[in-house]
Amino acid sequence: MDQLTDILIAISHPSRRAIIGQLANGPARFLDVAKPFDTALNAVTKHLKMLERAGLIERQKQGREVFISFRGEPLRQVAGWVHVYERFWNERLDQFEQYFTDKKKKEKKEKK
Amino acid sequence: MNNSRKTLEFKFERTIPAPLGEVFDGWLDPKIPGNPWNAADKLMLNPKVDGFFYWTFKGTPHYGRFTEVERPGRIQHTWVSPNTLGEESMVTVTFKKQGEETLMTLVHSDLPDHELARGHEKGWNYFLRIFREQFGAGSRKKYRWDDAHPSATK
Repeated sequence: MDQLTDILIAISHPSRRAIIGQLANGPARFLDVAKPFDTALNAVTKHLKMLERAGLIERQKQGREVFISFRGEPLRQVAGWVHVYERFWNERLDQFEQYFTDKKKKEKKEKK
Repeated sequence: MNNSRKTLEFKFERTIPAPLGEVFDGWLDPKIPGNPWNAADKLMLNPKVDGFFYWTFKGTPHYGRFTEVERPGRIQHTWVSPNTLGEESMVTVTFKKQGEETLMTLVHSDLPDHELARGHEKGWNYFLRIFREQFGAGSRKKYRWDDAHPSATK
């Protein structure tokens, strides 16, 4: 499999995205990473292996402890995979929807 | 015309909290944020069948011709830009009443698949924004370094 496929598979699972979200705030030890999950430690290990294979995390030994940290660089490949018009229309439509949402809120407020 | 070229199609849906006619009119009004015309640095817009548009966005020119303008349900126009390699792609926008709201569907089709149209540096920010929103919307407890490493701050 190419690295882009590994990355897309890695970020396709909500638990792995949650791990990335956690590690984006700073490196953590394995047990800290596993703490918020109800699943077995073995399952967390598997998720970490997939993230490591995609290059999205790395392990660093500090004294007797091993810290796991997030690496954002591979996500650039995903960004490059996004088509210019996919991005353009999503941004435009988000803004268009937001305009009407704000307008509706304002009208409700004025009625009160 | 070369019919064997590889083309892409993208479909987007949004539920807009406003009545059908208002959303339709909003999509064609350059003063309303979010429609493509509002983003223009320079704009010429004639939204009727066989009317043309020309606009530049961040210095990039876009041209097109309206092929369908059926208030309040449907707008279709061609779309030509350097990102389509100068070839005609097609944008179809449909509006459907959904209670008091409007379901809006935009399909951009016949886009040539080529590297020029792939995201570059800007895509990184876009992706990060999506990522941030996804995590931001989650209910998981926010991870704090100090919580996990109390000894490091003592």
